[in-house]
Amino acid sequence: MTVHPITLEVVRNGLVACAEDMATALCKSAYNMMIYEVRDYCCGLIDTEGRMVSQNAGGLPIFLADLGAAVLDGIERYGLDGFEPGDVIIMNHAYICGQHLNNIVIYTPCFFEGRVVAFAANRAHWVDVGGTRVGFGSYGTNEIFQEGLQFRSLKLYEAGKRSEAIWQILEDNLRFPESSLGDLRAQMASCRMGERRITELFSRYGADTVRDCVERIWDQAEAEVREIVSGFPDGVYKAASRLDNDGRNLDVPLDIKVTVTIEGSTMTVDYSDMNPQVPTPLNSGYSGGLAAARVAFKCLTQPDAPVNEGGFRPLTLISPEGTLVNARPPAAIGLWSIALPTVIDTILKALAPALPDRIPAAHKGDMGGCSFYGYREGDGKRFLLMNIFGGGWGGRPTGDGESAAVSICQGDVRNVPIEVQETNFPFLIERFALRQDSGGAGEHRGGLGVEITYRCLQATVANINMERILEAPWGLYGGAPARVNKAIIRRADGTEREVAKETNIQLEAGDLVIFLTAGGGGYGEAAARDPAKIEADLRAGLISAQAAADDYGFVPAGKAAP
Amino acid sequence: MQRVGIDIGGTFTDLVGFRDGAIVIGKTSTTVDEPTRGVADSLIAADTDIPALAELLHGSTIAINTVLERTGALTALVTTKGFRDVYAIGRNNRPEAFNLNFRRPRPLIPRELSFELDERMNAAGEVLRPLDEGEIARVGKLLIEAGVDSVAICLLHAYANPAHERLTAEILEQSCPGLFITSSHEILREYREYERTSTTALNAYVGPRVRAYLDRLGGFLDERQFQGGIQIMRSNGGTMSLGQAREQPVSMMESGPVAGMIAAGRIATLLDLGQCIGFDMGGTTAKSSLIVDGAPEIRDGYHIGGYASGQPMQLPVVDIVEIGAGGGSIAWCDAHGGLHVGPESAGADPGPACYGKGGADPVMTDADLVLGRLNAGRFLSGRMALDASLSEAAIRERIADPLGLGVNDAAAGIARITDAAMSLAVRSVSVERGYDPRDCTLIAFGGAGPLHAVSIAREIHVPRVVVPLYPGNFSALGMLLAAWRQDFVQTLVSDLVDVDPAAALAAFESLRTAARARMAEEGLDPTPAVYQFAADLRYRGQEHTIPVPVGAAGDLEGGGSAGLRAQFDLLHERRYGHAAPDETIQMVNLRLTLELARDGGGADADWLSAPYAPDDAQPDQIRLVVYDDPETPIDARIVWRPGLAAGSVIEGPAVIEEPNSTTLLFPGDIARITEHGHIDIAIAPAPGEEDRT
Repeated sequence: MTVHPITLEVVRNGLVACAEDMATALCKSAYNMMIYEVRDYCCGLIDTEGRMVSQNAGGLPIFLADLGAAVLDGIERYGLDGFEPGDVIIMNHAYICGQHLNNIVIYTPCFFEGRVVAFAANRAHWVDVGGTRVGFGSYGTNEIFQEGLQFRSLKLYEAGKRSEAIWQILEDNLRFPESSLGDLRAQMASCRMGERRITELFSRYGADTVRDCVERIWDQAEAEVREIVSGFPDGVYKAASRLDNDGRNLDVPLDIKVTVTIEGSTMTVDYSDMNPQVPTPLNSGYSGGLAAARVAFKCLTQPDAPVNEGGFRPLTLISPEGTLVNARPPAAIGLWSIALPTVIDTILKALAPALPDRIPAAHKGDMGGCSFYGYREGDGKRFLLMNIFGGGWGGRPTGDGESAAVSICQGDVRNVPIEVQETNFPFLIERFALRQDSGGAGEHRGGLGVEITYRCLQATVANINMERILEAPWGLYGGAPARVNKAIIRRADGTEREVAKETNIQLEAGDLVIFLTAGGGGYGEAAARDPAKIEADLRAGLISAQAAADDYGFVPAGKAAP
Repeated sequence: MQRVGIDIGGTFTDLVGFRDGAIVIGKTSTTVDEPTRGVADSLIAADTDIPALAELLHGSTIAINTVLERTGALTALVTTKGFRDVYAIGRNNRPEAFNLNFRRPRPLIPRELSFELDERMNAAGEVLRPLDEGEIARVGKLLIEAGVDSVAICLLHAYANPAHERLTAEILEQSCPGLFITSSHEILREYREYERTSTTALNAYVGPRVRAYLDRLGGFLDERQFQGGIQIMRSNGGTMSLGQAREQPVSMMESGPVAGMIAAGRIATLLDLGQCIGFDMGGTTAKSSLIVDGAPEIRDGYHIGGYASGQPMQLPVVDIVEIGAGGGSIAWCDAHGGLHVGPESAGADPGPACYGKGGADPVMTDADLVLGRLNAGRFLSGRMALDASLSEAAIRERIADPLGLGVNDAAAGIARITDAAMSLAVRSVSVERGYDPRDCTLIAFGGAGPLHAVSIAREIHVPRVVVPLYPGNFSALGMLLAAWRQDFVQTLVSDLVDVDPAAALAAFESLRTAARARMAEEGLDPTPAVYQFAADLRYRGQEHTIPVPVGAAGDLEGGGSAGLRAQFDLLHERRYGHAAPDETIQMVNLRLTLELARDGGGADADWLSAPYAPDDAQPDQIRLVVYDDPETPIDARIVWRPGLAAGSVIEGPAVIEEPNSTTLLFPGDIARITEHGHIDIAIAPAPGEEDRT
């Protein structure tokens, strides 16, 4: 059946608006900063076969993969006839969802003329899901059972009636039930919003027309993407990089190896040579690897278009079981996302020879953040401070890399303002600045990382998960690598040490924790950089006189060569 | 009462005034290089007796253009030691998540002009490191050496204790004569250092240029024996004195678009419409805003230049959703058979194909003309003849043939896509705030607003549409209705049940003192001032707050807070679809809105609610107009609005035409001319909807 092109356009906009409305409802009334600041969530419409009809923009890029897979598990379990209006399903099963257990999927069936026509679904990061670690993953776990509660496609509400058993389990097992149950309410409200919108669309245009429109939208997206990929030169492209270690075997780096094949209008990402899964929480399930491939693919094909199933049809993934990005149960996956920025950067690096005018040098390459917790002196209340820091992005074909920006896995993710942190938590932040000389030298300089210094005002505990402190963000076409991540603990007594991966670090009042984030790699030979730009960087203090001389051989006018 | 409002837009300078009870309307071309001349021209064109004017209201795009074009002053930043990069770092985010060439906001102040003071407050406003006067003098010398014209002072936690900012400003004022100084606490008493820094920097950056402009305007009027007051439109929907605008030009960023929504609010009050959506559609954009109980919704800031790469401005601004769809929006096909309208616009030159100025791209107006909805002979009162055959040719070539559609079908498609896009925007302003469009009235204005209002209303089930008098000049009229308005805010974080009575009292008193000081400074009589206090509340753990009206400090104390809590739960339920009556509520800010109605209050009486006397009637015409079925146009009644008497009733299918606008009625819609001359339309219910009560 052919769809009228006008109806198609109206339905297309309606589907996108539906996911955006769901996101607004969730974000504005959520209870934890991982949702309202970090935007660690996604909302979307899933069809009755578990395919993604539309998804909000602005959530985490790595949530591109598997909202559908989470819903499909419920469809298989209950059958489409097994859903009733008023059902609310909760889902975070480790290996179907492939990501840490904090990422809770909530969805509801949408009915039209008495039948399920779609599901309104969202995923949001809860601050805590029980388990041995406060908050989310940290080193020290080696199997999933230590990482919290799992809910596999359970009906939290059945025909509008709450399951008191599940609710009680939640209340008794979460460290911050007030926050998580608040988020749960916001998630359910978001689903109800999606249900209303999609039902409106179905009643306006009829079920067959909407379905036909969805197929057409997918076909169009697919056609557009195929046309773009056809413009990429055919070939088999390989690249490798490394993560520091798995957090337990500290002198064994992990190999990130990818093979990317461009053939006609298709792209295949192959993880066959990827590092085997590790006995620490640095693994992800299948969807982690899929998300990484999809993010890279999306960046290269249709960065601005709304996300839907069709745009990914020209992408094939080969991801054997048992690797870092497709771990077998019962592997721990608490830090599932840590490897992904490096995986994505490596896919891009592989394609650099094929697409020299598109690929930037490497970015900072980690997720960047901190987590402090403890009990407040005074009222004894439990607190958990989490913050996200940006770093440098690589020099690009079009110019210098951006500074102080979150990773490629994080989009509209915002740091927590200093004044908000100091109002709510027992810390004084002594410095928050761009990190001089951290960007890799090059014709197009890499962006700068940041430095932030926390002073503890009382006893507290920190989890530090630093990655990529050994392998620097690489340059391209002769550009220099950037400075790497670093974390330093300076005790009140003056002693100091660097920390990479440690859990439950006890801190006292007066202790300092200093984070220095990586810059981005340089693009092109440093010798080719415009001297006016070097001078401007020097004037602004983005590079030091020493670095100007060492990296660029630059001597300011009027001064003698050193 | 003699009063004029002058709005300088990108293309036209609009003048509207009351003179001896009559309305004066004038339009002149904006003189880009010397906007004060535009003011002079329009006053002269409208034959204004300047010495007789009691008041001149002015809206201008100078502040926002200075930011967008980056033509502001050489500006420095003075901040707390360790934090000079807060402004450059921003919030670390990348809204364009998949764009490898994303751009972060570019600071208006270069890093080398960012200076640090050795001082520190904590969140409670306690001094951790005192500020030494010698330290300020040191920075003052650096400012002089750098030759800056303006400085933004933004110290950490200055919202809680501004002592160090005050001292810095005082000393710099003495040591750096002629420097334009902006202190963050004068602009915004709210936490979040990046947004406060950005807002302060915006003020500092545009300050010298806007001040010079305002001084020229004042001088021009002085020379002509102007005796009245000058008031400047601000983004919050109110006005401020020229003196305050010289100090706080950042608050006139959205000086233009808000006025129409203010006027729509007055229409809502006049017709006793509780929940309305103001809808303003012009040549390049459409804007909509929720209006509850006569007041447009206010939001606490936005990003100038777009969210992804723009500059945050954290001051109250009328909440307007804007989309790039207007009469001049170009319709086009992509390579895969998708039809799109906008965001590119044909502008005034070449304009729509039907203007005959060589425009080959079909635009919205061309589609309206082909559909019979616009009158080729009456466009702009007949001053500009439109050629429908050019519209047809453009639509055929660019849209109909590539898509394999008939011309009417393609034209109807362009209209439907535009209406659907605008419907989403209109719906979002209501739905996002928790209001059902079915309980709202659409108030339509702007040149193209009334033409599309009914289609939009039908699309989202709005049952009633009002088209006020003079819809084409409605925005300028709004200026004459705006109240003098000041917003004050003070961060005060506490659980609602634990609010310290002394601290609450002190916060209220500090807001009141600031309000009184402002009125004294402006020489205003405080007697008729209306004080509205509100507390920004949220469930503990949430970030986003909802302002809830409070009467006095006592309302915040443990015992008296039950009413406040119930109200918050209700608002939260309405806006987000859920509430948590058992959870702790936290207060974040106290707000005060201070309003003084325009003296005389005659504006409303003079035209909005004045009895309406029609012009001479003109005979009706009949024309074929396309409605739902593109292949079967139907005969519609064509009516001349200025000749319609109060009480007239017109049933659709009909087109109501007037000099600067056109209202389209669908079959079954019933329009009535109110006693004041506004058009009040009852939309025919869609099939199956009749029984909704």
